[in-house]
Amino acid sequence: MRLQLLPLLLACLTTWAIGSSNSSTFYSEHAANFFGRHESASGHTNNWAVLVCASRYWFNYRHMANALGMYRTVKRLGIPDSNIILMLADDVACNTRNRFSGSVYAEAGRHLDLYGENIEVDYRGYEVTVENFIRLLTGRVDPSVPRSKRLLTDDRSNIFVYMTGHGGNEFLKFQDQEEISAFDIADAFEQMWQKKRYNEILFMIDTCQANSMYSQFYSPNILATGSSEIGENSYSYENDNDIGVSVIDSYTHYVLKFMEGINKTSQTSMQDLFNSYDPVKIHSHPGIGSDLFHRPLDKALITDFFGGVAQAEVFPLQEDAGSTSHHKSGSTSLPFASESGTPSLSVVPSATVTSLLTLTDEMHVWDIQRKEVRKWASVFIVGCIVSWVSLVR
Amino acid sequence: MVRGSVWISLAYLLTPSFCLHRLENYKEDLRVKPLRDGRVSTTFSFLTVLEDAVPRHPTTLELPDEPQHYALFPLTLGQILREYAITELHLSLNAGKWNYDDWGHPPEVSVGTGAELWAWMGVNEVMTIDERWSGLRNALSGLFCASLGSLDSRRTTSPVVAFPLSGSTPPFAQHELRHASLASENVCTENLTPFLKLLPCKSRAGLAELLNPQKVFDADWHGMGVHVIWKEGTGVELKLTLQAVFNPVRTSTGKRRDWSLQSLFDRSIEQSCPVANYSSVTVVLPEEKNYQITPQPPVQVDGLAIYDLSSTSDFTIPTNIAMHWSNEHRFQYPMPPLPALTPLSVKRTLHGTTQTRGVLSISVTNNSPQEILAGYLEMIPTLLTLWMHTLKVEINSDTRSMTYSHKMLPLLIIVLRLGDLLSDLKYQPPSPQPNGHLSPSMLQAALTIPPKSTLKISVEVDKAFLKYTEHPPDAMRGWDLPGAVFFPLSKSANDTSSSYNWERIYTPTLLVDLPTPDFSMPYNVIILSCTLMTLIFGSIFNLLTRKWVVVEIKE
Repeated sequence: MRLQLLPLLLACLTTWAIGSSNSSTFYSEHAANFFGRHESASGHTNNWAVLVCASRYWFNYRHMANALGMYRTVKRLGIPDSNIILMLADDVACNTRNRFSGSVYAEAGRHLDLYGENIEVDYRGYEVTVENFIRLLTGRVDPSVPRSKRLLTDDRSNIFVYMTGHGGNEFLKFQDQEEISAFDIADAFEQMWQKKRYNEILFMIDTCQANSMYSQFYSPNILATGSSEIGENSYSYENDNDIGVSVIDSYTHYVLKFMEGINKTSQTSMQDLFNSYDPVKIHSHPGIGSDLFHRPLDKALITDFFGGVAQAEVFPLQEDAGSTSHHKSGSTSLPFASESGTPSLSVVPSATVTSLLTLTDEMHVWDIQRKEVRKWASVFIVGCIVSWVSLVR
Repeated sequence: MVRGSVWISLAYLLTPSFCLHRLENYKEDLRVKPLRDGRVSTTFSFLTVLEDAVPRHPTTLELPDEPQHYALFPLTLGQILREYAITELHLSLNAGKWNYDDWGHPPEVSVGTGAELWAWMGVNEVMTIDERWSGLRNALSGLFCASLGSLDSRRTTSPVVAFPLSGSTPPFAQHELRHASLASENVCTENLTPFLKLLPCKSRAGLAELLNPQKVFDADWHGMGVHVIWKEGTGVELKLTLQAVFNPVRTSTGKRRDWSLQSLFDRSIEQSCPVANYSSVTVVLPEEKNYQITPQPPVQVDGLAIYDLSSTSDFTIPTNIAMHWSNEHRFQYPMPPLPALTPLSVKRTLHGTTQTRGVLSISVTNNSPQEILAGYLEMIPTLLTLWMHTLKVEINSDTRSMTYSHKMLPLLIIVLRLGDLLSDLKYQPPSPQPNGHLSPSMLQAALTIPPKSTLKISVEVDKAFLKYTEHPPDAMRGWDLPGAVFFPLSKSANDTSSSYNWERIYTPTLLVDLPTPDFSMPYNVIILSCTLMTLIFGSIFNLLTRKWVVVEIKE
């Protein structure tokens, strides 16, 4: 009995050994190693922002100013207009009630104009609806929708989603006519995760009872923050006597004030932003939902979400350390052990950048051959097991 | 050897490239005209001509397009025109009410409030005109950040008489017109930003430097337009226009009508656009000579002062062009009655006190001593249903106010036969469209207005009762009705000369107050019915399953 079990055991061991040396995951491992070189780096290559002001009418001037303040911040920190989707449910800058035409201010002294001369509002007026918002997020837009109104993210995009308006326990009002619930947004984010439409999402919301809006999320890599707990209102910060209405909300005002000190090279982390929350000044308790976010918050940079910062690293040129024949113009190549079946990737950081370029040419042919060998070997082993079983019977 | 290769490479560089390199030229002009009520009308006109270009033949739509190379013509707009094979395109985004009586005819004719888009396209079976119209609207809405995507079949008509081809008719294919307008569209900086990006020098050099959104959108009337026309000898012309009527009397501290480019725009022209063939500021000089203009205009002809700002001219760019009336202490508005500056004055109102019916009434006054033959066009979305049998035309040769004539001289109100005053009546009722909505109704008529008289047309209307989901979020505001259009008609078929002394006139838009439902009723009904169902189910369930027993508690 045991002698008969032995070849079966050997066959199983060999298949497992060959299977574990799986080179189809070779590329994704290598990419993950490249992106994850610095542990707890975000691994994103592009940034998008979706800024939604969901309320209409002149007395909701502050919601428009909230969204525009965030727009100016992300633009200043490097996200271009083509990667920003700005949804404003009403036009306050050129509203006939606005004494200062073409300008929107977020503080009582009217020093900084948020509207400016260079602005693109992608969804305006009646186009800001729950349906359009969810279609935008999930990508299920009508073929006629122009490019500037689409969220063209991929699986390496970090998205900053900011929503403001009137809301309540697990809902947000759109234009005083319809509501979006926390479940809708959670499902939309899950669809985005399934379709690989984001790398990480920062969800920020400034409404009454805002923290309930992110309580239903269940997709990974989402960091959420809201302005007030359930049962609490979010308050506006100040009025301007010439404009005649409140110009900014408290939570957004303090977040923007924190952002004033950030520039593109800043290494300030999200933990610093969250530490700056002061419930006494904001008059409500902001919340943080980081259970779905797998990186430590003190390593997540502000510019990972708010900025469009290109990551560049400067490597010193290394001497010839490679022992293989894969040389290109004197730069070191991967110390690749061509003899063994398993590629032992001792990734030398200085060589990775240059060798990644040579990688695809060299590995391609080799890899295909190994795949073929593995395929036929496993077929052979399975055939042996089946024949052995039938012979025993 | 080296010399040979150098010569060869030089020869290669000098030979013309494979792709068609068309000549393009660019002209810009600013026309400033002080108006008699103290306002200042400014018109920017940026003209880019793509010489010898022809609009795309609609039958080539299924094949890939030949590569287009532009130097000055904007690529984004050019791609949209080629993608949908558009022959002529007109888009205007205006805000405010153009006062024809005091300001005369605008230099650019399309001054209807809100967004107005019309395009002439050649017919094709593969990609129908309606598909291309839908693609065009959405592409332009993305380009100009305007909600033009909502100009669907509920607002699209085809008024070929009022909006004929402005350029030449291309020899290929039968052309059709699609026209739509959205009177409630807001115009703001996000529409100006892409507009400026279509210019060769953007807003960094040339006249476009003056376009300060804080000042332009503070004007009493402002509007921008995009006009693409094909002219047979010239090529494809793109004219970008921006008109604004400023009010120095309101914005200045001393209520003076003095203006300068610095005070109007809060900007100055630093440098002229290097690629402009011609760049100028033209000031229309007022008739009374009690003004001073600085700097002295180098060219003064026909009551126009022309400052040539082209980079090729010798004239250095003035830092500021100003006109002031130093003898005036404050501006005095001219006392009424004032003669109207246009031959026709139009007014349109919607009477009625209920939310179900009303009377749409239009009054057209002929201020000139000749008879005028005018075309009248109404494009009404299905908010209002016109009852054509109630169409009435009245003529009142007394040009005093309507109520005065009604009371004092009733004998002079004559209801003439419709054939004298209103002829060629064409009414197109709303028709169902493929997307389930109804198209607008279109009313066209030819009006013959005797000299110095007022013609009044009135028709009873019914207001639509919409489903509660069709109402906009601010339903209590009402719906905007696009303005009616009056356009000149030739007296006979032979008279094809376009020598009219007036141009297309738009009436102001109207706000139609439709009956709105109680929007909380769906919620109320759901709550009440759920409560009722719970009570019924709960009671029956308890009756059937609950049993009261006595439980003994052992001490």
